Amino acid sequence: MGQSEAANAPTDDVGGEGEDFDPIGTLTLIGIYFAILVLAWVYIYFVEFLGRDLVVVG
Amino acid sequence: MHIHAYEKLWLALSIVLILALIGTVTYGAVGPGVAMVADSQSTVDAAALDEDERFSEPRVEQVGENEYEAYIVAYQFGFEPSPIVVPANSTVTLHVTSRDVIHGFEVVGTSANTMAVPGEVSEITVETEEPTEYGLVCNEYCGAGHHVMEGKINVVSQSEFESRGGDSE
Amino acid sequence: MSTAIESEQTFVDKFPDEARVVRAAFLSSFFALLLGAIFGIIQTLHRTDVARIIPSTDYYTVLTAHGVFMVISFTIFFLVGLFTWALTRSLDRPLLNIKITWTWYGLMATGMTLTGISILAGFVDSIDMSADVLYTFYAPLQAHPLFYAGLTVFIVGTWIAGADWFRTFLAWRREHPDERIPLQTFMVLTTMTMWYIASSAVAASVLLFLLPWSLGFIDQVNPTLTRTLFWFFGHPVVYFWLMPAYMLWYTVLPKIAGGRLFSDPLARVVFVLFVLLSTPVGIHHQYLDPGIAEGFKFISMTNTMFLLLPSLLTAFTVVASVEYGARQRGGTGLLGWLTNLPWRKPEFTGMMLAGLMFAAGGFSGMVNAGMNINYLIHNTLWVPGHFHLTVGTAVALTMMAGTYWIWPQISNKPIYSSQIGLFQVVLWFIGMALMSNAMHAQGLLGVPRRTAEPEYSGFDYPTMFGGFEELNIQIAIGGTLLFVSTILFLGNLVLTMGNPKVSGLAEPLPSPVSGAEDAPQVLDNLRLWVGIALTLVVLAYALPIAAIINRGGLLGPGVGTYPVWLAPLFDALADAAAPLFGAVADLSASVVEVVR
Repeated sequence: MGQSEAANAPTDDVGGEGEDFDPIGTLTLIGIYFAILVLAWVYIYFVEFLGRDLVVVG
Repeated sequence: MHIHAYEKLWLALSIVLILALIGTVTYGAVGPGVAMVADSQSTVDAAALDEDERFSEPRVEQVGENEYEAYIVAYQFGFEPSPIVVPANSTVTLHVTSRDVIHGFEVVGTSANTMAVPGEVSEITVETEEPTEYGLVCNEYCGAGHHVMEGKINVVSQSEFESRGGDSE
Repeated sequence: MSTAIESEQTFVDKFPDEARVVRAAFLSSFFALLLGAIFGIIQTLHRTDVARIIPSTDYYTVLTAHGVFMVISFTIFFLVGLFTWALTRSLDRPLLNIKITWTWYGLMATGMTLTGISILAGFVDSIDMSADVLYTFYAPLQAHPLFYAGLTVFIVGTWIAGADWFRTFLAWRREHPDERIPLQTFMVLTTMTMWYIASSAVAASVLLFLLPWSLGFIDQVNPTLTRTLFWFFGHPVVYFWLMPAYMLWYTVLPKIAGGRLFSDPLARVVFVLFVLLSTPVGIHHQYLDPGIAEGFKFISMTNTMFLLLPSLLTAFTVVASVEYGARQRGGTGLLGWLTNLPWRKPEFTGMMLAGLMFAAGGFSGMVNAGMNINYLIHNTLWVPGHFHLTVGTAVALTMMAGTYWIWPQISNKPIYSSQIGLFQVVLWFIGMALMSNAMHAQGLLGVPRRTAEPEYSGFDYPTMFGGFEELNIQIAIGGTLLFVSTILFLGNLVLTMGNPKVSGLAEPLPSPVSGAEDAPQVLDNLRLWVGIALTLVVLAYALPIAAIINRGGLLGPGVGTYPVWLAPLFDALADAAAPLFGAVADLSASVVEVVR
């Protein structure tokens, strides 16, 4: 937030740790999400959509 | 601007995903040849469809070997012709318009689906396989009787199609 | 805003006038939520044939009311309340003129009341007024003029709200010439920028075409043109619903989780991307429309796919902020930190479950955005399945959860029961999981959306995913749970309002791990972003709109008029009703005059 808000930061000493914080759990979760997205997309596009009757070709 | 290395990695993955999605759709267009409803047909006077050579008589007609054209009118609350009879194992180009409000044209359980807009003509080409029957529904709200608006597409054998006079009323 | 002062004072202590506006806006929002929920449960049970208490012809009145009350009144009244709070709080100064603030609130409330009356009159056969045109009001279906006039007044109200906030910001800027725009104010200003661009098209559609047409001044309109102008507005409006949720996820959720926002600069980047990309994408709602060239559809798809980027970035930033909070609270391990989060707080759990459902909605949204795969799901129940995950949960559940946190700040009254709150948000999640999943599945069966009776005489649906009947049961159960959850939310809030005022409820918001000083100055250059956004809009829309007008004419290629307020009588009575039409039109014109 802006400097006007930076002034109201809690005084606990976390600012310095910010540089060192590695959100490895977040990366893991979002990596799983990415894998689900890709698999679901492949299924819906190639199986559900292109696998049906009467695909519009013109 | 400081961006964490993991977030940079996620940004890169996200862009790869986006490009892959656009790539898949592009593949669908050039590989299996999926084409979009577009502006290929000229406009039509919705109030005077009986004066338009395409829609004065809703029908299915043969235009070449294994090639057929269907002219379909959606209206409150049905489709003409009813049922729409097309031959199996052939290429059928559907022309769909509306004579009143906006309707939908969805062949249930298939990938054939388009809007029926008064004044405009949707043109989609599909390839039929074995004889079967498909349900046809209007999937755009079109008035108080919307839920009764349905039709049929009957895919029949070539011989049966011809015995019907090669035409459906 | 110094720590010492804010830790003692809540928002209502510091800004009692603004807090009153925020409460009024929230209560308007929740009144709409109540109406929307009642119509929602009627509609769910009707569609699934569990209980049909209305004739099917009235289903579309119910559906119009559910749509308009939920996505116009509920969401936007909440937005104006939240933004008033956020702007005032983050600038730490009152609004310039509270009379102007009450003026726009009054306009919005008046406009929505008029539109609501025109919709609800559809239930009363003796009143020749109806607006059964659904939320999208596609011509040539025609609503009563009061419907369009009310929407216009409502939107003008939101425009004045935006002007109110911009003027207050500029006053702050004069007092603080060298400071960065506070993050929440930045979010308000960018969102309103997007709103001005987007709503200009629907205003043009209503004022130039639909309202004059419903009043009988012009005979016909071009359905493709008014539909295109609707979707010019209709896609960015979904981000208008979503931005309040994003604001809560970015600025309040990290605080509740016990941490701080991971990155202020990325939050700004995300909001700038929404300004740029929200609007030049609306044609993706028209992939299956005739009269629009495939190339225009492809451009719209490319823009739409890149619009995934800010949401994907948000997923990371918000989860990382929560992880940061968990680790501050002693969380360890790759995923073990998930147990160190305040899951007993409804404001936390509600927002987290809302975010989880948004991730699922992200998938069905990708499918909706894919140009040719649109043939598979267009106008099927898949689509409402999708937006009940996004606006129906990511937005609605975040707003409810956010209320548990913010209401004490704007009223000095503690929430009546956190346990009921927690039960309520979890119930919403379960109900929506059932309902939305089954709606997606029915969509893949080919079940159409927006219909009173999705069972047909001529064919049966394929029996995938458990089959049509079983999915109907899931939808009905899910919809019932959602209704119960809404009532619990509203009941909890009413009981909260009966609580006595107390002190010591103030909850200051912490500054980010990576702060604004880390963000390039150019991000705050709103003029630049407006310029680029307008350029993208022109690139995406100038040629398609020119082509549509060129094809069909400004007023359409020979298309009639289908007033739904005469729908029960169908066309037989249309001629007989013409003089009445004129009389009602005159009456409405005078109402419009009075309102103006």
